[in-house]
Amino acid sequence: MARVKANTRGWMRGASAPLRGALLGLVLERPGHGGELANRLVARLGETWRIDTNDVYRLLDQLVADGLLAAHEEPRRENQRRTRMVYRPTGQTEDALTSWMETLLPREPVRLGLHAKLAVARDEDAPRLVAALRDYERECLRLAQLVAPTTSSETQRSWTALVMDCTRDAVWGQLQSDIDWAARTRRRINERIKAQER
Amino acid sequence: MTPLLSFANVGKRFPDGGREITILDGVSFEIEAGVFVGVYGARRAGKSTLLRLAAGIERPDAGAVCFDGRVLNEMTSGERGHLLRGDLAFMASGDWRPNLGESVVDHVATSLGSEGLTVRDARRRARGALERVGVSATGGEEPAGSLSLAERTLVMLARALVHEPRLLLVDEPAVMPNLGDRDRFYVLLRELVRERNMALLVASEELGALQGAGVMMSISDGEVCTTEERGTVVPLPRRSAGGAERPGR
Repeated sequence: MARVKANTRGWMRGASAPLRGALLGLVLERPGHGGELANRLVARLGETWRIDTNDVYRLLDQLVADGLLAAHEEPRRENQRRTRMVYRPTGQTEDALTSWMETLLPREPVRLGLHAKLAVARDEDAPRLVAALRDYERECLRLAQLVAPTTSSETQRSWTALVMDCTRDAVWGQLQSDIDWAARTRRRINERIKAQER
Repeated sequence: MTPLLSFANVGKRFPDGGREITILDGVSFEIEAGVFVGVYGARRAGKSTLLRLAAGIERPDAGAVCFDGRVLNEMTSGERGHLLRGDLAFMASGDWRPNLGESVVDHVATSLGSEGLTVRDARRRARGALERVGVSATGGEEPAGSLSLAERTLVMLARALVHEPRLLLVDEPAVMPNLGDRDRFYVLLRELVRERNMALLVASEELGALQGAGVMMSISDGEVCTTEERGTVVPLPRRSAGGAERPGR
């Protein structure tokens, strides 16, 4: 029996909160076992999220422990070696999802590594920082390449197509902002390097 | 194999008051047929200059720009003009200049003026190009001046396509106010690359306008950053349906 923690919002905290919220939404749409939910998560969020199946199982277990999902053993079929757990919504899932939708999320943990380097960089680190920023800019461009483009040009689109377009837009917006930031930061550091050379 | 377009250590400067500002500094890359390259950069980063150099409209201050093995900056203006009406096409949103009262089909057909075609043949080809871009509902007989911004962009694309270019350069496609129109335009550009094995170089200050590009570049402070390690842009294998489109090798 799952342990129920009524009214708790702890699952919305931490770096994995968006994935936990997305999993609640997926299970509410249609119950599924862990591998299937991981595949649906990748299909929905895209390649730039780097979703690990083991992480998905861990997050599902957390949601079950919080009473936000229920796990039931699926009857084993003839060709299956092991039984599989199927995750289903509980009475709290829908309210939890609504609550997550209404919550202002904390700033995403982007550029964390570079932020940390910038925060403690010494003067002599400037060329290394410029190189790191250039690598980061290239990485953002590579991620932009991974985003599947809009394929339908129909005006009357399904709701799913519309929300997937909005998801892509969010990724492009974030990558664009990061490329701009990397370029500006490189420029600032380069201007200082040139001023010191003169 | 000779690349379709190559930049070798290209530099470009412009006067800015009493001094000069560097727009491009030692930029090198190569593009082959059938590749969609997206160039991202903030406003005034040098995207338009890069495209105008690629089209031979501007001359570099240093280095060489080659199209199909021919150095553009060593060609006469007549030769470069001929190239721009044939293998190379350049479209920019600010270049919309139809003659007063000119019909849409005539506006496209007049761009074929020096190819020795009869008026009927030129109009026939213009109608074909307009049909491909989806501006054929009224047969293209309406005045060009009456078109919306989205329709103008499509007609400019038809003007570029009517020459059946091997390289299409598009400067800032994200000018259409309606997001649906923009998406349709981006889908159309990608379809054209696949259909015609045409190279496409699109520059925009919106990353989303470059969706589906097989190779991405960004430009800032005169430098180009590219997803290709050595600055050589070669066709990559296509992805399966639903994935990002990449030109075939």
